[in-house]
Amino acid sequence: MEIRSFTDYLRSLDDAGLSELFAARPDLVSPVPPDLASLAVRASSSHSIARAIDSLTEFEFQILEACVALDEEFTLKNVISITHKDAALAVVRLITFGLLYPTDKGLRLPTSVSQLLINEPAGLGPASLAKLKLTELSEAPEAANRVLTQLIWGPPRGSVGDIKNPGPGIAWLLDRKFLVPLDQRTVIMPREVGIFLRGGKVHKSYQSTAPAVTGTKRVEKSVNMAAAANIATVLGWVEELLHFWAQEPADALRSGGLGVRDLKLISAHIGIDENCAAFIAELSYLAGLLTIDGDDRILPSNNFDIWLTQSAETRWSTLAANWLTTSRVSGLVGRGEAKSVATLGPELDRVNAASTRKLVINLLNEQPNLAPDLASFTRTVKWIAPSKRNPGIQEELIAWTLREAEWLGFTGQGASAKYGRAFITGSDEIGIDTDLPKPVDHILIQSDNTAIAPGPLEHDIARDLSAVADIESRGGATVYRFSEASIRRGLDHGKSGEEIRTFLVKTSKTPMPQPLEYLIADVAKKHGKLRVGNTSSFIRCEDTSLIAQIMSDKRLDVLSLRKIASEVLICDLDAADAMNVLRNAGYLPAAEASNGALITGHRSHRAKAKPKPPRVIGEIDPPSESTLTAAVRSIRAGEKSSHKQSKIRDLAASALGSLPRTTANETMDLLAIYVEKQQALSIGYADNNGAVSHRIVDPIKISAGALVARDHATGEMQSFRIPRITGVAPL
Amino acid sequence: MTDGPLIVQSDKTLLLDIDHPGSVECRRAIAPFAELERSPEHIHTYRLTNLGLWNARAAGHDAEQVIDTLIKYSRYAVPHALLVDIAETMSRYGRLRLEADPVHGLILITKDSAVLEEVIRAKKIAPLLGVRIDKETVAVHPSQRGAIKQSLLRLGWPAEDFAGYVDGQAHEIELVQKDWKIRPYQELAAEGFWHGGSGVVVLPCGAGKTIVGAAAMAHAKATTLILVTNTVAARQWRDELLKRTTLNEDEIGEYSGAKKEIRPVTIATYQVMTKKKNGVYAHLDLFDTHDWGLIIYDEVHLLPAPIFRFTADIQSRRRLGLTATLVREDGMEGEVFSLIGPKRFDVPWKEIESQGYIAPAECVEVRVNLTEAERMLYATAEPEERYRYCSTTTTKRKVVEALVERHANDQVLVIGQYISQLDELSEVLGVPLIKGDTPVKERERLFGLFRTGEIKCLVVSKVANFSIDLPDATIAIQVSGAFGSRQEEAQRLGRILRPKSDGRGAIFYSVVSRDTVDQDFAQNRQRFLAEQGYSYRIIDADDVFQGKI
Repeated sequence: MEIRSFTDYLRSLDDAGLSELFAARPDLVSPVPPDLASLAVRASSSHSIARAIDSLTEFEFQILEACVALDEEFTLKNVISITHKDAALAVVRLITFGLLYPTDKGLRLPTSVSQLLINEPAGLGPASLAKLKLTELSEAPEAANRVLTQLIWGPPRGSVGDIKNPGPGIAWLLDRKFLVPLDQRTVIMPREVGIFLRGGKVHKSYQSTAPAVTGTKRVEKSVNMAAAANIATVLGWVEELLHFWAQEPADALRSGGLGVRDLKLISAHIGIDENCAAFIAELSYLAGLLTIDGDDRILPSNNFDIWLTQSAETRWSTLAANWLTTSRVSGLVGRGEAKSVATLGPELDRVNAASTRKLVINLLNEQPNLAPDLASFTRTVKWIAPSKRNPGIQEELIAWTLREAEWLGFTGQGASAKYGRAFITGSDEIGIDTDLPKPVDHILIQSDNTAIAPGPLEHDIARDLSAVADIESRGGATVYRFSEASIRRGLDHGKSGEEIRTFLVKTSKTPMPQPLEYLIADVAKKHGKLRVGNTSSFIRCEDTSLIAQIMSDKRLDVLSLRKIASEVLICDLDAADAMNVLRNAGYLPAAEASNGALITGHRSHRAKAKPKPPRVIGEIDPPSESTLTAAVRSIRAGEKSSHKQSKIRDLAASALGSLPRTTANETMDLLAIYVEKQQALSIGYADNNGAVSHRIVDPIKISAGALVARDHATGEMQSFRIPRITGVAPL
Repeated sequence: MTDGPLIVQSDKTLLLDIDHPGSVECRRAIAPFAELERSPEHIHTYRLTNLGLWNARAAGHDAEQVIDTLIKYSRYAVPHALLVDIAETMSRYGRLRLEADPVHGLILITKDSAVLEEVIRAKKIAPLLGVRIDKETVAVHPSQRGAIKQSLLRLGWPAEDFAGYVDGQAHEIELVQKDWKIRPYQELAAEGFWHGGSGVVVLPCGAGKTIVGAAAMAHAKATTLILVTNTVAARQWRDELLKRTTLNEDEIGEYSGAKKEIRPVTIATYQVMTKKKNGVYAHLDLFDTHDWGLIIYDEVHLLPAPIFRFTADIQSRRRLGLTATLVREDGMEGEVFSLIGPKRFDVPWKEIESQGYIAPAECVEVRVNLTEAERMLYATAEPEERYRYCSTTTTKRKVVEALVERHANDQVLVIGQYISQLDELSEVLGVPLIKGDTPVKERERLFGLFRTGEIKCLVVSKVANFSIDLPDATIAIQVSGAFGSRQEEAQRLGRILRPKSDGRGAIFYSVVSRDTVDQDFAQNRQRFLAEQGYSYRIIDADDVFQGKI
């Protein structure tokens, strides 16, 4: 079969070839196209091609650029001659990707590939139309050479003062067509000249295999230990953050996400920097451990309670899995000029985030025990996946991913650790549960009012302890400090002083220091001495027997009175209502102002708000003479122009023999005239779907926004809604 | 995971489990670079600070050693970020060096010209520098040696000082160890100081700081200026030096309000040094007029501001600071370290106690219930009067009487803040009172009587907080203090820490009014001692009256 087009090429492929294409470009089969022609269309769509180009390595992309610079059809030899000897492999890959296809006469590119790559691939100008004697370039005068050096590596355009009067160097080049004028002030260097000057190659240099990652060698054991520590730490951070928000939910910004102040607050609370705090918040958000509720409050979800009960391994896997696949980039928070990007906000999604993350992790995993240095690592990642769509943040993305991988424990001391590798390969046992330090079930209380948990605390103990003590230092161990405020917090949580004491005595391996015991007792003694509550009104009476009477009066049950002192009752109703109820029951209350003075005199209310009298909708004032003249003038002018327009339209209509068209005003006018004359009309009428049909009608009357008329086609009476009448013309 | 005694926290604190068998070895290993922060009963807290790490560098430890030590003793994995931070911090030390150049005098020199550019451009540094000699060298005004070191430290580029110390005028001084022997920790402290060049030695009260001073002088063998808090302290230093060293009376001079002697070893008071005449410090010249080889600052936590400023100018002389409690309520600890020198020696009080060099002490807080009438008066008192009111109540006086009676056979000191309260106590108890306006002669006479046991009880105001030597005081009763001063509390406890001949323990009573600010202040005051492992026992005043202690 003769291959002339991309479609032909696709037809020529066998099943294996097609599967290969689909494997390389999965977007082509979702959904599966109905036939090869539509496959070809989809495969040449710019969107799909852009995706395909994104998955090329730097070398492959260079080869593709070189191909664009060649005239079609070209051969592999042509490609190699202007690039690198290893181009053959890349060409095969490009063919697999469907970015290049063989025809009978040679290799070709699907049309949209060359359109998609910028007009000047690899900084080369367009092909020359004239025949060039490139050998003459070696005799170029000094001035011309200077110009050439400027343009050699692109962009191939240069501006000149005036094309008609160029300098001697440019003139020499223009004469020989080594430069071509683009417009009045711009010249461009043809592609052939560029390639010639670049020594017959398209790019400065080629690297056909990925550059090796360099870095520091680490000892496997300490890498894993460090990673385990990171994992333990990150789990602690998440827990700490969510407990914090459980106490005091943060308010989301109106524009969505977490405010800078709240971010600062949590970073100070957990003792990490703000980037890390943003990362932890995002991590919890992705894993569904926190949610932003209807009242815009940020607080932990029920999943958090479930998560807490799970093993460390499961907890970590949940976090890790979500981090790997998300398109959200927490590194963007607080970055340089983009200060307004909020954690948990709507602006964190980036196209390449997940793929970059995956690439970084895989690359790390390929070289266990190597802590790469950022520059070499970035270079390699950029070779494997030179980002065309988001080049701006690719380098940062890589740095952020490395940073986050360390926080999360994919790496320890910067090198890939066994837990992350096991997780990626999907093995059942990651080994976290066995390697993390075993939780301890005791604390050591010391006489300086601190308690130290010499390892990760069991969950319940940690929760109870943090209710009555403040965390002073975190890490392998936790240092808690007891203070009056922290004990008070425990009491506020509903624990009694005795409960706190028993809990501490039970949990502490060391005897309870007496000062702490006293501190707890002292605070407990004072706690709740003052009581504060809400009430709407009070009833006061110096006669306690009257108070007793009121309390026992069944008719006053509605007031739900509570006696708070022998002479004072409080009531849920407001003072005016309470007084009405009391009066109806036969008592004689008087109102008391907040300063205790009696409010006497009859009640006569005044509004606090400013008066806002209603707007008057009345008759229209007769317009002044000048207004009238102006109005008339403007109407006349409008009329003239619309008349002119409708004339032109009529001409066009009659020329085409199509439906009549009139403006809404004209329509009304004509209808009114012809209803009066009882003369047949031709109208255009739009149906429900907007299709306009031509009707001949005898108008009868206009009523309720419709024209009632007899339709000649059916001979029946029908009403035509006036807005749907597209035009009227007399017959 | 190993089973080490050390837990490294992510906030750069190190927790040392002292019940662990390896704790002693570990303490020794981390002491050169970590600062002891608190040392209660079970877990001691050390902190890694930039200053501490730089000092370790100065003493010849490199980052790798520090990191290896941490990893070796750590129970859990050490946070990687922390290790990176340590390496990074330590690498900043010594990029800049202060050297003595034969041509240009004092110079700041570097191999990393970017760093030099950075510091030259700093506002605080520029005025201290002289001419730029070349790309990597700049001259420094010799008088600004201290100031530039301090400013560089603040910028985070500590300079390594190779300019050395002046030897001062030589003067033969030796320790005379006939009927006594220098204790191992005193020797360690003196050596630590000598090898470091300058610095601060922290030792508990009663642990013999004077001897550390004497030992340092024996190392220096040069004329020495000793700065002390007051005249009584000056005399005690003199007596001590006469007893412990080869110095004789003619070699030791006193420079105070009363006498102005300048001898090879001169003891001056802070008070006279900071006395102004016509708006200038008339006596600060003392630093300069003589070629001192060593300057000792006693009770360095009390160092007054003018001396601070002056100390910056004498960076080429060796400086030794002595203190029991380097907590300054004014937060100037950092200044002390950068001007006098880093902490060269620090040891938990309890460790010295366990070696028997200071007396074991029991701290007791006696809680006094105010009477109903007193409570009402307290509640309505003006805020600024409240502390005074609740710390001087009549109920307290009765408790003090009961306590003094209980310890009728012991040497008892009653210490307080408010003179009217002390006057009253002195009258009721029938014992002499020593306060600010008591003449030195009278003071010395009373101390003498107290020492010999002729007087069993003394009431003292805050003048006796420091440096009075009362060998046989076993009981201290504190009735009021300077608000929440932790440092004062520690100094007062120090009054009774000298080992007793019969090996008895000392008791430190603090009488506190319950449910008042007195109690809050007491809690704050006790913090330092609690962090040193002194645990307070709280008893009720009624128990004192009923004799149940």
